[in-house]
Amino acid sequence: MLRKLALGGIRARFRDYAVLFSGLVIASAVFYMFMALATNSAFLTANSPVSSTTIIFGFGEVLLIIITTVYIVYANTFLMSMRQRDYAMFMMLGAKSRKIAQLIFIETVSVGFLASVVGTLVGMGLTGVAGRILINMLHAPATHFSVFWGPAILATFGFFLAMFVVAAVINAIRLLKTPMLQLLHADTTPNRIRQKGWGLILEAVAAVILLGIGYVAMGQMMKIGLMAIGIALVTIVLGTYLLFNALLVALIDLLKRNHRFAARGLHTFTLSQLSFRIRDYTKILAVVAMLFALALGAITVGLGFQREIPERANELNAYDVVTIDAPASERAAATKLTGVMHAALYTQKVSGKTVYLNATEVNAHPLRLRVFEDNVAKLRQADAKTFAQLVQAGADTDMLVRPTDVGKGVVVLPAAQFAVQTGTTHIIRTYVVRDFIGNYDTIKTMATAQTKRFKVNPMMQIGQKFYYYEILNGMYSGFAFMGFFLGIAFLAMLASTLMFKILSGASYDASRYLMLQKVGVRKGLLRRSIRQEIGALFFFPGLLGVVHVLFGLKMFDSLLAHPYGNLIVPFGIFLLLYAIYYGLTVWLYETIVIQKSLATD
Amino acid sequence: MQNQPVVSVHEITKTYGKANEKQYQALKGITFDVQTGEFVGIMGASGSGKTTLLNILSTLDRPTSGTVAINGQDVTALKGDKLSDFRAKQVGFIFQDFNLLENLTARENIALPMALQNVSHSRQQQAVDKIAATLGIAAVLDHYPTELSGGQKQRVAAARALVQEPAILFGDEPTGALDSQSARELLNTMQGLNQQQGVSILLVTHDPFSASYAQRILFIKDGQIGQELRHGDKTQEEFYQEILDTLGTFQK
Ligand SMILES: Nc1ncnc2c1ncn2[C@@H]1O[C@H](COP(=O)(O)OP(=O)(O)O)[C@@H](O)[C@H]1O
Ligand SMILES: [Mg+2]
Repeated sequence: MLRKLALGGIRARFRDYAVLFSGLVIASAVFYMFMALATNSAFLTANSPVSSTTIIFGFGEVLLIIITTVYIVYANTFLMSMRQRDYAMFMMLGAKSRKIAQLIFIETVSVGFLASVVGTLVGMGLTGVAGRILINMLHAPATHFSVFWGPAILATFGFFLAMFVVAAVINAIRLLKTPMLQLLHADTTPNRIRQKGWGLILEAVAAVILLGIGYVAMGQMMKIGLMAIGIALVTIVLGTYLLFNALLVALIDLLKRNHRFAARGLHTFTLSQLSFRIRDYTKILAVVAMLFALALGAITVGLGFQREIPERANELNAYDVVTIDAPASERAAATKLTGVMHAALYTQKVSGKTVYLNATEVNAHPLRLRVFEDNVAKLRQADAKTFAQLVQAGADTDMLVRPTDVGKGVVVLPAAQFAVQTGTTHIIRTYVVRDFIGNYDTIKTMATAQTKRFKVNPMMQIGQKFYYYEILNGMYSGFAFMGFFLGIAFLAMLASTLMFKILSGASYDASRYLMLQKVGVRKGLLRRSIRQEIGALFFFPGLLGVVHVLFGLKMFDSLLAHPYGNLIVPFGIFLLLYAIYYGLTVWLYETIVIQKSLATD
Repeated sequence: MQNQPVVSVHEITKTYGKANEKQYQALKGITFDVQTGEFVGIMGASGSGKTTLLNILSTLDRPTSGTVAINGQDVTALKGDKLSDFRAKQVGFIFQDFNLLENLTARENIALPMALQNVSHSRQQQAVDKIAATLGIAAVLDHYPTELSGGQKQRVAAARALVQEPAILFGDEPTGALDSQSARELLNTMQGLNQQQGVSILLVTHDPFSASYAQRILFIKDGQIGQELRHGDKTQEEFYQEILDTLGTFQK
């Protein structure tokens, strides 16, 4: 009988259960995605030029566990808020409390178990899809990357099951200890903001100090070492929470006290909506801020590494492809290059230990040579006059000669002299394109054809940018891969957390919005209130997340040439996505809580 | 203009269910007026169409045909924001289940309709304090609804309905969830509002005792008005007895 009642309760609140369940599925899927990298040490060591990557992922695990725990606790509170009224009703009808405790235990654990089974499967799917796309996009080898990774399955399952068993026990105990009346009205009891002013100030000060310590630790990672990450982890998580706790409470209080503001329209209502469950809010906001920072940070760093690869390859060779004596087939391939900014042809005569170039051709199209000055690769244009000088200064000319001619001196001869110079003649063609990665396939075809033609080991194709790129890509694409992969994972969790937080309150809010409509609140005003309430939920964590990332990028100073370069791209894309997601959430929420009928249409 | 009724209902019908679904006619042509300052009761058995009627009068629902005018304004012609504003300014109502916002204090709940019209804070507070004193809830203004008794909640709801001085106060079984003592107090208060402040009231109820506070009672059965009783010079006991007698014959 009781079982029937319990199942009936689930059916009655199907939408809430769907929200709860899908939230938990995403949480465990993301957990799996992270663990699929973190517990795969072969993958980590093979794909990272930094030996401490495994340890860094260890810190990441701790952070993810904290975040997931908050998430699960919140989900669990939501589950209980849905059920406690039913349970209280059963108890009033005479159900034994032991029986109820048993029921709660079974229900909580089965929700957790089911969510982690489905979540792990979804996680594998996401790992496979994201992995495949990124490997193709980044031309990353990602050796040892594995979609089905036993340890990750175990970790995800173990963690979620353990969490839910603990949650189940707590639920059961709490339910049995709470007075029945309170259970019946739990969801309508507001949190009164009862914090003293100085308590808030203390919290705010502590938050700022903690965040300061965390930011400094990240900035000084070179000096402090890996411990810096540990310090930052603790201080920033705590600081974020305290800051939201103090600032949000203070801000709401301040706005409520400002009568001119609060007394207008729905402001009082909106503020009360925010302060209604302020404790839940601050924890969730802290989690959202952390996830925002992680997702944005991971994507920014991934993009940084991805950008770094062609940039560094470019520092080593100013030409994207150079062909020597290209047969018709390779010349045909060259016509497929897009965005060609520079193409030139040079005739070359090789005699003895010297390679000769024609001054007329060199003057017509000055050679683009890389010269290192103060450890910085500078692009220099060499005409007939300056060529010898630049070679003297260390300019590399290897890419302009056949592999067998590497090491020979290169000399530019005046046209008349070149015409009478004896030696075997070779035709050199140089190309510079706007986007190396966009032409990756064509360049690869050309470079490998030439390697075959000269019958040399690819790495002997000295000076060819494609091989520099491949070597650098081997070193850095692993990082780029991890960055994007984790970025996607955290983004999914961020989206799910926000959606979950908002939809989990929708059923209760629906009745409030209906009342407002009955009292004569214009729909436009209701919509504005919703936009503001959800806007606060999006805005504050987003702001703090951006600040976290700006300080966190300092950690990559030693790995990336320009950790702060081109931030506009990842930030822009991310904020655009975030804004679109905000719009979507508002729209979804409005369709749930605003009644279409009520005769106003 | 002087004798224009505050509510004028003309031949309204209401059919539930779309054209292709199973249809049910809940109201079958109802016509009556409520004069300014009148206290009218509407009685009928459960399912007779009282709530349907009141929802239409209070602009929460639309009639299938017929018109409703409040203070001379045909509300069936209003739409969108105009309708919302009309509701906020001209119509006050209290429901059986209070309909208070549990995340606002009593004071904030009562002030809400004025905040919507962007009345200044000090004028809001004045108005709240005044109506709260009239309704006897001054002491509990800073409580949240969960911290109030049923009777207090209904008074807060009434204060919220009246704070804008609407043309008419509608009540759908407002005493339905109250104990008899609180119910009696609320009814006395409503009678006071009607007699001293001249508030027009339309009260829907199936409870004869509540109805006996009205000056005039319309009996509704199967979506039609069947009978009308007037309080006249009778004492409340006599009127109550008359209602009971009428119900006895009417509901057969
Ligand atoms: N939304 C609706 N859809 C269909 N039928 C309804 C709806 N609301 C009420 N009814 C029907 O209309 C009749 C009158 O209902 P109602 O006005 O609530 O009666 P009362 O308030 O007098 O008890 C009832 O038979 C009821 O079943
Ligand atoms: Mg009814």
